[in-house]
Amino acid sequence: MESPSTASPTDRDKAANSSVRMGTASLPAGTDPSAPRSPASRTLIDIEHLDFFYGQTQALNDISLKIQDHKVTAFIGPSGCGKSTLLRCFNRMNDLIDGTRVPRGTIKIHGVDIYQPDVDVIELRKRVGMVFQKSNPFPKSIYENITYGLRLHGKTEKSKLDEIVEKSLRGAALWDEVKDRLHANGLGLSGGQQQRLCIARAIAVEPEVILMDEPCSALDPVATAKIEELIQELRSRFSIVIVTHNMQQAARVSDRTAFFYLGRLIEYADTRDIFTNPANPQTEAYVSGRFG
Amino acid sequence: MTPPEPAPTPPPGFVLHKKRLRFLGLTVEDCIKAFFGGNAIMSIVVLALITYFLFREGAGFFGQNRQNLEVYRQAGLEYVDYLRQQTDDHTALTRYLSDVRLRALNHYAEERKLSFEDASTALAPFDEFAGKFGDAVEPLRGLVSELSDVATAIKTKFIVNEDKKEERRQLLAENKAAEAAQVAITPVDFATELKPLLGTLPAYKDANREFAAQLTTLVSRVPALPTPDLQQRMARWQQLARDYLATFPTVERNLEQWDYRQPVPAWKSFSSFVFGRQWLTASFWQDWYGILPLFVGSLLVSLVALTLAVPLGVGAAIYVNQIASTREQKIIKPCIEFISAFPSVVLGFFGIAVLGQALRLLSQQEWLAWIPGFPYSERLNILTAGCLLALIAVPTIFTLAEDALNNVPTALKEASFALGASRLQTTLKIIVPASLSGIISAVLLGLGRVIGETMVVLLCAGNRIAIPDFGRGLAVITEPVHTMTGIIAQEMGEVVRGSIHYRALFVVGLVLFILSLLINYLAQGIVRRYRISIG
Repeated sequence: MESPSTASPTDRDKAANSSVRMGTASLPAGTDPSAPRSPASRTLIDIEHLDFFYGQTQALNDISLKIQDHKVTAFIGPSGCGKSTLLRCFNRMNDLIDGTRVPRGTIKIHGVDIYQPDVDVIELRKRVGMVFQKSNPFPKSIYENITYGLRLHGKTEKSKLDEIVEKSLRGAALWDEVKDRLHANGLGLSGGQQQRLCIARAIAVEPEVILMDEPCSALDPVATAKIEELIQELRSRFSIVIVTHNMQQAARVSDRTAFFYLGRLIEYADTRDIFTNPANPQTEAYVSGRFG
Repeated sequence: MTPPEPAPTPPPGFVLHKKRLRFLGLTVEDCIKAFFGGNAIMSIVVLALITYFLFREGAGFFGQNRQNLEVYRQAGLEYVDYLRQQTDDHTALTRYLSDVRLRALNHYAEERKLSFEDASTALAPFDEFAGKFGDAVEPLRGLVSELSDVATAIKTKFIVNEDKKEERRQLLAENKAAEAAQVAITPVDFATELKPLLGTLPAYKDANREFAAQLTTLVSRVPALPTPDLQQRMARWQQLARDYLATFPTVERNLEQWDYRQPVPAWKSFSSFVFGRQWLTASFWQDWYGILPLFVGSLLVSLVALTLAVPLGVGAAIYVNQIASTREQKIIKPCIEFISAFPSVVLGFFGIAVLGQALRLLSQQEWLAWIPGFPYSERLNILTAGCLLALIAVPTIFTLAEDALNNVPTALKEASFALGASRLQTTLKIIVPASLSGIISAVLLGLGRVIGETMVVLLCAGNRIAIPDFGRGLAVITEPVHTMTGIIAQEMGEVVRGSIHYRALFVVGLVLFILSLLINYLAQGIVRRYRISIG
């Protein structure tokens, strides 16, 4: 595996070029079924005709969707519909599972196809952060948890690290609660605090996208509310993709919502439309609670 | 008032009471319970019995050892040993001289291409010097051997007497008073017996003065040697000889102050065991039961084994757990676990027949001469035994370390990868630290396995009962040693039940038992802490 320092410059160049190009040529509204009604926003992740297999089992079937920059996008759908799988495609976490493959389709971030063989997965994951369903702080101190990603990428200057730790913890709305015990073990925090620590850890490396895989499913309502509040704050700085089982949550936090069912994308639209005026009867049945 | 409702009767088929098969008043469940409970109790009883037996048999040792030390003093053996120490030190110096001579001879033969005769001629002054030095001790040595006979005689008398006492005691126990009265016991009067021994002191002092004078003149007139290196060695020898001379007054003082009536304190019997540097049994002179050489032997062999087994076992565990494909896992795991299927005696046999030979051959390769201790000639030594013990420890360490790595939640691994860590970084920075306590306890249990192993060390460690020379640094691992387990296996079959030697072996067993207990306790403690930390 390539070390982070030897990331190919071409990737970055390509990314930079494409972002410029996409900035100037935003998509005309109306030509794309999934295009936003609200004032144009740039496409960040562009998925086209994606198929995905776990061994012989097809988990995703011909998914095409565009995720916009600096928006919160929610993936909803019943268990096993492939929403988490799709999320984990964005930072190629599925590579860690034996027997997974993407036989067809592309995922482009800033126009760069992340499934090309010359893509450095480490560089990709630096730019696409992730927060997991169950909070998983390392059994290290709070400080070390946050600096872990930075140290991996060669940042070791103490004053700089201190600064980033504070900034990230403030960003994750955790600073006031832990500032006096930065060197205490991260596992000593409560469940909600641990999850916010994981968010702080993810934003410390300044990714462009944060993927959240059911970040509140193991939390109580109070902690959930805090995380949702945090997502509202983070949307100004990051693009967020969130998978959730909780439809109220999707309605509360997201700008755009995609509904998946049995590995297919059923509907993708502004959150308001999905919940008030769904185009597809299956979507309507799901959001109104008749199945799922 | 309504009449009370009649007691309800269950409908037919509604049967709730147990149908019990009884045998001797016990139900089947009782029998099953008794069977499993009995098994559990059995193991506890056996453990308790073993512990009790070990302690009971071992406990008598310290009393007997004290008696042993008392006889050593009363019979004058201690006195003679003061003298003997002096002649032994002299012998060491003579040996140093012959080593220097050998080096000089080599130098003449290889560097200057002299024939053997010429070299001998060149060394003539040195030989004369060494001869004089060697001969100087003769009067003293004569005295030592003379006194040895005296002391041995006293000791034999005492022991014969003790035997007779025992005989009488037994006869009395069997109610044979008449026969018991016939057993003649003449108590040993140490004061009279020791007179000839102590009477030699003035003669010794005279001889010693002469000896010291001779040495002093000799030491100041060291013959010249051909190379600076040899000169340096001679200078070192001079220093050693002067140190030796400086000990003479102490020896004399010890001899003057020596008193056979001085009691042997009780702690001596304990300290002479724990810190004793000699394990000497069935000796015509004096038996010593010092566990130190055996303990050091066990420790060194185990250390060598662990040094080899830890990287192998933990490394293999990391590979299998983190890097290997499923197919590789399926091949590697059973292979490593299969090693533990070898009977250790087979491994020992392999060690003697193949590994010892191969290692010695390897040590004699010139390109390996930089390794400390190489080349060596003892086929069976710490290194050979350590290599084989490593083989025994690897499966234990591997299996437990692999378990510990497996217990690290996948979530941590994913979190690390999601932050852009490579596989290596994730393994080294997250997975290994998170499972470190598990790995440490795996290593400790491996140590427990190794320290208790008997057959391999008995066959391959060389069985020389002596503390190896640590002055050689790392090269110490090429020396033969004996171990605690080995000595028990070797000597237990030959000792007289109830003798001091028999009890000494039990105490060694006790030390082993406590050591294993300690290691296991430590390992379990670490594992418990580790469970909590991962939560």
